[in-house]
Amino acid sequence: MTTRRSILKGGLAAAALTSAPSIIKTQAQPSRARTVRAVMHADLRVLDPIWTTANITAYHGAMIYDTLFGLDANFAPQPQMVSKWGLSDDKLTYTFELRDGLKFSDGQAVTAADCVASVRRWAARSGSGQSMMARVKDTPVVDDRTFRIVLSEPYGLVIDSLSTISTSLCYMMRRRDAETDPNQQVRETIGSGPFLYNRDETRPGNRHVYDRNPNYVPRAEPPSGMSGGKVVKLDRVTFENIADEQTALSALQAGEIDFYEVPPQDLVDELKKDKGLTLEVLNKTGHIAFMRLNHLHPPFNNPDARRAMLHLAKQDDVMGAIFGAQSKSWQACGSFFGCGTPMTNDENTEWFKKGQDIAKAKELFQKSGYDGRPVVVLQATDHYLANPAGLFAAQWLRSAGVNVDLAAMDWGALVSRRAVKKPPAEGGWNIFSTTVTGITFSDPIAFTGQAANGEKSWFGWPSDPLQERLRDKWATAPTLEARKEIAKELQSNGWNYIPHLILGQFFRNSAWRKNVTGVLGMPEVVPFWNMEKAAAI
Amino acid sequence: MLAYIARRLASTVLVMGIVAVFVFLLLHLSPGDPAAIIAGDNATGEQIAGIRKQLGLDDALPVQFYRWLAAVLHGDLGISIFSNEPVAKLISQRIEPTLSLALMTLLIAVTLAVSFGVVAAWKVGSWVDRSLMVVSVLGFSVPVFVVGYMLIYVFSISLRWLPVQGYSPIDQGFGPWIERLILPSIALGLAYVALIARITRTSMLEVLAEDYIRTANAKGVATRSVLLKHALKNAGVPIITVIGIGVALLIGGVVITETVFNIPGVGRLVVDAISKRDYPIIQGVILIFSGVYVLVNLLVDLSYTLLDPRIRY
Repeated sequence: MTTRRSILKGGLAAAALTSAPSIIKTQAQPSRARTVRAVMHADLRVLDPIWTTANITAYHGAMIYDTLFGLDANFAPQPQMVSKWGLSDDKLTYTFELRDGLKFSDGQAVTAADCVASVRRWAARSGSGQSMMARVKDTPVVDDRTFRIVLSEPYGLVIDSLSTISTSLCYMMRRRDAETDPNQQVRETIGSGPFLYNRDETRPGNRHVYDRNPNYVPRAEPPSGMSGGKVVKLDRVTFENIADEQTALSALQAGEIDFYEVPPQDLVDELKKDKGLTLEVLNKTGHIAFMRLNHLHPPFNNPDARRAMLHLAKQDDVMGAIFGAQSKSWQACGSFFGCGTPMTNDENTEWFKKGQDIAKAKELFQKSGYDGRPVVVLQATDHYLANPAGLFAAQWLRSAGVNVDLAAMDWGALVSRRAVKKPPAEGGWNIFSTTVTGITFSDPIAFTGQAANGEKSWFGWPSDPLQERLRDKWATAPTLEARKEIAKELQSNGWNYIPHLILGQFFRNSAWRKNVTGVLGMPEVVPFWNMEKAAAI
Repeated sequence: MLAYIARRLASTVLVMGIVAVFVFLLLHLSPGDPAAIIAGDNATGEQIAGIRKQLGLDDALPVQFYRWLAAVLHGDLGISIFSNEPVAKLISQRIEPTLSLALMTLLIAVTLAVSFGVVAAWKVGSWVDRSLMVVSVLGFSVPVFVVGYMLIYVFSISLRWLPVQGYSPIDQGFGPWIERLILPSIALGLAYVALIARITRTSMLEVLAEDYIRTANAKGVATRSVLLKHALKNAGVPIITVIGIGVALLIGGVVITETVFNIPGVGRLVVDAISKRDYPIIQGVILIFSGVYVLVNLLVDLSYTLLDPRIRY
């Protein structure tokens, strides 16, 4: 006879049966205790860190690839895959020797030929690479572990460029991957980095899985930023794609994830009260929020109109709206290179010290011959910065008697529209706002936004021959001190031709469970080597 | 009957064809460029143009449409622009969580809602009726994501009874599978419960006023039998209809619920695809959703013949 009890027993047996495969599977899985589940700032969509400049792909690159040089925590380049290197007396020939025992995850040794091909492909895409390659005469391979970069003229940024932390980073790939057309995406994920990309367990859009690379030979030095010994102390790292911020936060509090790179800023104070969590700013150079002006069309094709914007922008408004007026997470900054970076200086910043001056802005708009046409401000309503920045820009402009067309859209539409060079009334634009890390912003070569070569430069397409000459002079300066001096000239001129306005510098906290330790702070990339995870607290 | 089914299936193909054209045009004429998103924030216009060319996005719209339609007619939904994986594979990877969520929601919603509706009609005018209808109104008025966050706060953060988010496939154990579906199903099902409960109540009230029900009561037939055997079956046609119509509600709700509870289903797939303008995925998913919706309505129409023998096709 069938009774309730027998049905219940049958149900339990069925449940046990369906559970059985998981028991078998878990035997092959890395220990959960040594797995860090991380929610990063974006979902990983493209796997080739040279083809795209997306930061999240640079993170992926840092997991599975290695670099010839790496920046330490003080932003000084240190050898990474390279064991020895030297520069000839005429300062034209760099010779690099690779460390012993470097292997790709397919088992092949890393050779000098792999590195030469990788450097060439990277140089075709990266701003710093292009600047360096313009002075490179040859890249001969000497033997399996040695290659050279031969210059046509001395160039002081070779090592800095190879160790750049601004996207795209100079990752070493297999020669056959690196010989892919730079405009085509590399689909393989074979690197010689500290982690292996586990394609079988990865579910695009949901979870990316990285396992410890058992064949990786770390350097002997202690880890420091992107340099030193990349000792992996975890079995596995997963990048979990949790699109909803509130859900990610709840998952962190409940211990379902271990690391949350950028929790929503307005909830940081609440998170600080949670004794199970550690909060820390990992990127000490922060981010720069900036507003780009379109130099191709009126009114900002006129320097007086651009100068008017310098007097209109009020960083406190935008930063206060995002972080709170009293928050210590942001600071106003008047330097063309961001604040707290080696290039920060005080040249030509009287306008900044004076603060917002609407009357002066009105006067300058009139002087520019502003004819009343609407200024098109792109406002990405789903972007934490571009939304309030758009609203404030409209308010500031209106207060100066300028007509505004506030074009609301999502971020996906904004990144598409900002590439349109047509007049604003025909689908173009006048103003958009975005962010970049402080370390990238401070580099006149690596940051494409610092170029002023007209229609070839970044969106806004500013043209200023003097700025281009100064950038070139900066790139070829032999020492850091010399570059700092040239940076003053760059800033002085930069705030005259005004490619963009700074809206503030801010520092976002990362949050992780207390049982996760050894987190290294670095701009642009979150290193997962050196990280440890103890049993849950 | 067979001729009717054939006619309906033919019209399904027509409907899906129209959906395909509209979705394609709507996506490609709306602002946004996947090449700009792929290239990253630091890329120049030149680099974006290179990627656009490589992806074939600078071809004329009719050329792109022809290429996509020809592939679809051969059963190929295309390749994701971002992950470079076949869309069919991505959908198949995501179908289990969505089906699990939808079926669990249906099960909970129909069971609760029909019970609520029947009881409310039986006890019409009483505090039970009023209470159930208040719950129904609330269920219909509170957005899914608000319910979701409240459930997470209470049951996951405060009480720690259930996980906050995620999905565990059924082949990794029934326990983890069901525990991750409970909260999302309740959040998603609440509006559905409200909708079905109200229709059930109204339909039951009509039937309960019929002469044959009075006769059954006069003959001394047990209340349970009167309600479930005599009344509910005859009140079934509108209830089944609203369950069918509610599938559209369910599909829309799945998209939000999967985002709030981080369930890697088809809803999440399409939301992510929309934010990054991954056209082949959006087109593929909408095509499949529209097909499912049309087929569910066909099944609903066919089920009428089982409930009411007077209906013939």
